[in-house]
Formats: sequence, structure tokens, C-alpha cells
Amino acid sequence: MSLLKPFSKLPCLNSANILLVESDEEFQQSLADALVDETDFTVNVRLAKSLPLPVENEESRPRIDLVVFIINLTSELSFQSTEASLKYLDPGYFLGKVCFMATNARNASVPTERLDAVRKLAASLHCPLLFAEDQTPDGVANATERLLTILKVAAGLVPMATPLYLSNLTRCTVPLDIDQPSFD
Amino acid sequence: MDDPSQRLLRRLLRRIPAGNLKTTLEKWGRLTAAQWRTIDFTQTKSSIVQMLAFCAENEFTMKHITELEMMYVIDNPNKGMWYAFQLIDPEADSQSLELTQFKEQFKSHLCELVRNVSVKIKKHTDEAVWIRIAWGDSYSRPNHLKPTYIVHHLQTPYVFVTGLSPKQRPLVSQALVLSSRYHAIKAANLSGRNLTAIRDLLMKQYQQVFPTRFPSPLSERNQSVSNPQIEREHAGHKENRLQMASETFGDGMLPQLQSSVYKLETKFRDRANQTMTEREEPFKCVVKFASTNLLESLKLCVSSGIASTPVTPLLSSIPLKGRNYFVITDNGPAPSSQMPLSQN
Repeated sequence: MSLLKPFSKLPCLNSANILLVESDEEFQQSLADALVDETDFTVNVRLAKSLPLPVENEESRPRIDLVVFIINLTSELSFQSTEASLKYLDPGYFLGKVCFMATNARNASVPTERLDAVRKLAASLHCPLLFAEDQTPDGVANATERLLTILKVAAGLVPMATPLYLSNLTRCTVPLDIDQPSFD
Repeated sequence: MDDPSQRLLRRLLRRIPAGNLKTTLEKWGRLTAAQWRTIDFTQTKSSIVQMLAFCAENEFTMKHITELEMMYVIDNPNKGMWYAFQLIDPEADSQSLELTQFKEQFKSHLCELVRNVSVKIKKHTDEAVWIRIAWGDSYSRPNHLKPTYIVHHLQTPYVFVTGLSPKQRPLVSQALVLSSRYHAIKAANLSGRNLTAIRDLLMKQYQQVFPTRFPSPLSERNQSVSNPQIEREHAGHKENRLQMASETFGDGMLPQLQSSVYKLETKFRDRANQTMTEREEPFKCVVKFASTNLLESLKLCVSSGIASTPVTPLLSSIPLKGRNYFVITDNGPAPSSQMPLSQN
């Protein structure tokens, strides 16, 4: 199985590489355009629909510092595709180099079970779960800012902070009564 | 002007939307210049009343009103449900059929079969023959309020019909078959609201994409990413999917189909549900896909990866065979067919 490994290549100077994995391939485009506008350091964005990544790009692909899984909560396919892709990541990534981003959380048609399932998934992997709004430029800018904060740490550009340390602070937790029915 | 004509005219004027009324009447050209000037087209109700008055004045008969209706329908054919039929087994001289011959024969055959039927035939500029039939029987005059419209392109085996009741169908079939020199007619299993769409689909008059070894024009089209810092991992896969979708469904403006219906008569298959799977009889169910533009939606499903490629024959038969009604049955253990479906 072709796992994506976190430390098998050398890093580049003053740059960070982020991989956005999204089954719908919509939000990742606007996120990518906003991410490359960062001026403090060079951000290289790679867009994928799912893992595993094609073997042909293995040579030219740089070391990926942060893998972001974008889940559209209104689509079951999106969640299933993410779950299937997780198998192709080397376990080394789950020490702070993976992040989940959920969109359309405010949509009324989202079943609560799916949101709970996403939270449980993120919590079991000790990864942060961000919620983003993808339809407005403000929402995109917001999401970009938060991703850049995590990316800087994951790429080692922040002194005295490691991704494992940050993930300990930002990781998703589920309340103990998540399986109890809510009173809506 | 007699009562049925007035009723038809009133109904027709109400049906024509205000925007088209002026152009249609202009094309009709039967109002005098003076009458034309006095009609105020900004107010629909009063223009209807004025029209009725003028028609009474000019003593128009049913013939003129049906002419107007036909003109309107020819210009706006995308209303009502159209069904496609195909003529099969041509005789030797079916290709050299002339318009006048067809017209005379059709009229005479139909009038032999049904008394009191009113037939109007007109040839449109794009080689299509339009036939309007108002049905009556031995006891009543033709009912012009529920006409049947038939469109036939000479030299092709395709016929499109709207407003035909099941009782009238064998009469029309017989008249068509005899006058167009074929042996039989069958339903083409294609229907839709848009006459131009089903015609384009059957006669493949939309932009086709042919398999090519070097699809470089398509890859240039996807150039939304020009930033060197952004890299797509699955660019090749995406191009492949887009190419396959375009090859199956075509390119550019696709014909606007509204639905496709699959009538399943296959056995129930589910490993988890033994009680249902054990039954001998086929599990009958109907699956219907509906959309404002079905072919565009299916193409998007394939190009975005929701439908797996290569495109399943269930979907690709729609543009390939030009039909949108399928009956799917289990095949017996026949070695020749690899897919467990047969379409009748």
C-alpha cells in the first residue's frame, strides 16, 4: 500500500506544503487561492480528491507538512471518501500533521449523526476539527487564517512549538454524553 | 363567426403569452392595417376582446383560427408531452417519398378510417412536416379544442406526436405507415416536453465528441489553476473522466431531457436480506431520474466522479440509443451477454 509518509523527504527553506483532500473538489480551489497569498513564507498547495495519491507524482511531490481533510457535512459520500482515504496515511501524520475541516455545518439538512460521527472520528485520531463557511469570501479568509496558524507550526516555522504540542491543545474532544439523545 | 370558432379563438388568445402575441399575429397577417393599429398590446384582456371583435368583423372561420394555432405551436413546440415513434421496415421507394405524395396519401388514408376528421398539413422551413388533426366521429364535428400534432421528417424514420389518445393511436399509425411506405411503426421509448430536444437526441444533432488519443484541447479548457504554487494531484484522472463524460453524452448544449425511467423486473438481490432474495418472482420496481436538464446532470455525475467510469450502459444508452424508457429483465444464463440486463 502506498502510504504517504511525513518525514521521508527533506524540507525546503522557508516554505510549507499543505495537502487539501476533498471529495467534492470545490472548496479546495478557493482555499488554495487564498492560501498562496501568504507572504511571510511560501505556501505550496496540493489538491487531491482522495488518497492514495497517484504514483506518477511521487518524484515531484515535496514533503507534505499538513494534510487537511475537507468534509462536506451535507454529503455522505464526502464522509465515506474521507474515511477510506485515512487508511493511506502513515501513522506519523497523526501526531499533529492532520486536520479536519467541516463545511455546511449550519445547513438544516445535515443529520446530527453525521456531525457526531465526524467529531468522534477527529477525536479518536487526536486531530483538530475546524468548521468553515465556504460560500462567502469572509468565510474563506477566516478558514485560511486558521489553517495557516496550524500550518506554520506543522512546518516547523514557529520556534518552540511542535505540531504534537499544538495538537494536544487543539484536538477535538467529544463530550461524554454524545451518544445520549439531545433535547431539540 | 360561429360559436366553436369563437371558443377556440378565445382559448388560443389566452394561451399565447403576451410577449408572443404580437409576433404571432404579425406572422399570421390576416388583420387589416387599421385593425392592427388599434390593438393595444400592453393590456391583455382588452386586446382579447378587440381581437374577437375584429375576427367577427373579418368573418374568420375555423380554418383561419386553426391556422393561427398551428403557426403558434410550430414556433413554440416545447410545450406538452411529445412522444417519439419510429417507422420500421422500409419499402424500396420510401427514401424517395415526395411531400405532395405524402400529404395526399396521409389525408386520404386518415379520412377513410375516420369520418369527420379535420387534417391540416404544413411544411416547415427545416424540412419537417407538421400535421394537425382534430378528431370527430360519425356523430359529432371535429373537436378542435384537443388537436393532435404530428411532426415527421421525410426521409427519416422518425415521427413525433403530441396530444394523441390511445384510441386514436392505431388510426394514426396505419395512416402514417401506408402513406410513408414503411411496413410498421413502433414506439421509440422516448418522450419529453421539448420537441427540439428529443428530435436532436434521436437524430444526433448535438455536438458529438469522438474518442481521441491525444485529448489536449480538453486539458487546456481546465486551466483555472495557473498559479505554480498550486498543484493538482489527480489532474490526469479528472481529464480522463471529463473526456469519458464528453464522449458518452456529447459537448456544448445538450438536448433538454426531463426524465428517464427504468422499469426493473429483476430478481431481488441482497445478501443481507434472505427472505426477499429467496422469492422466485421478479421484484418489480420503477426508478425515475428527473431533472431540468437530465443529460447535463448525468454528464456532471460522470465528470465529477459520482458515477463510476467507464459509464454504465444504463446511462450511456440514453444518448446512444436515443431513448429514455427502459425495461430491464434478468437474462437467463446466456454466455453471450455479460451484463444481466436486456432492453426491450
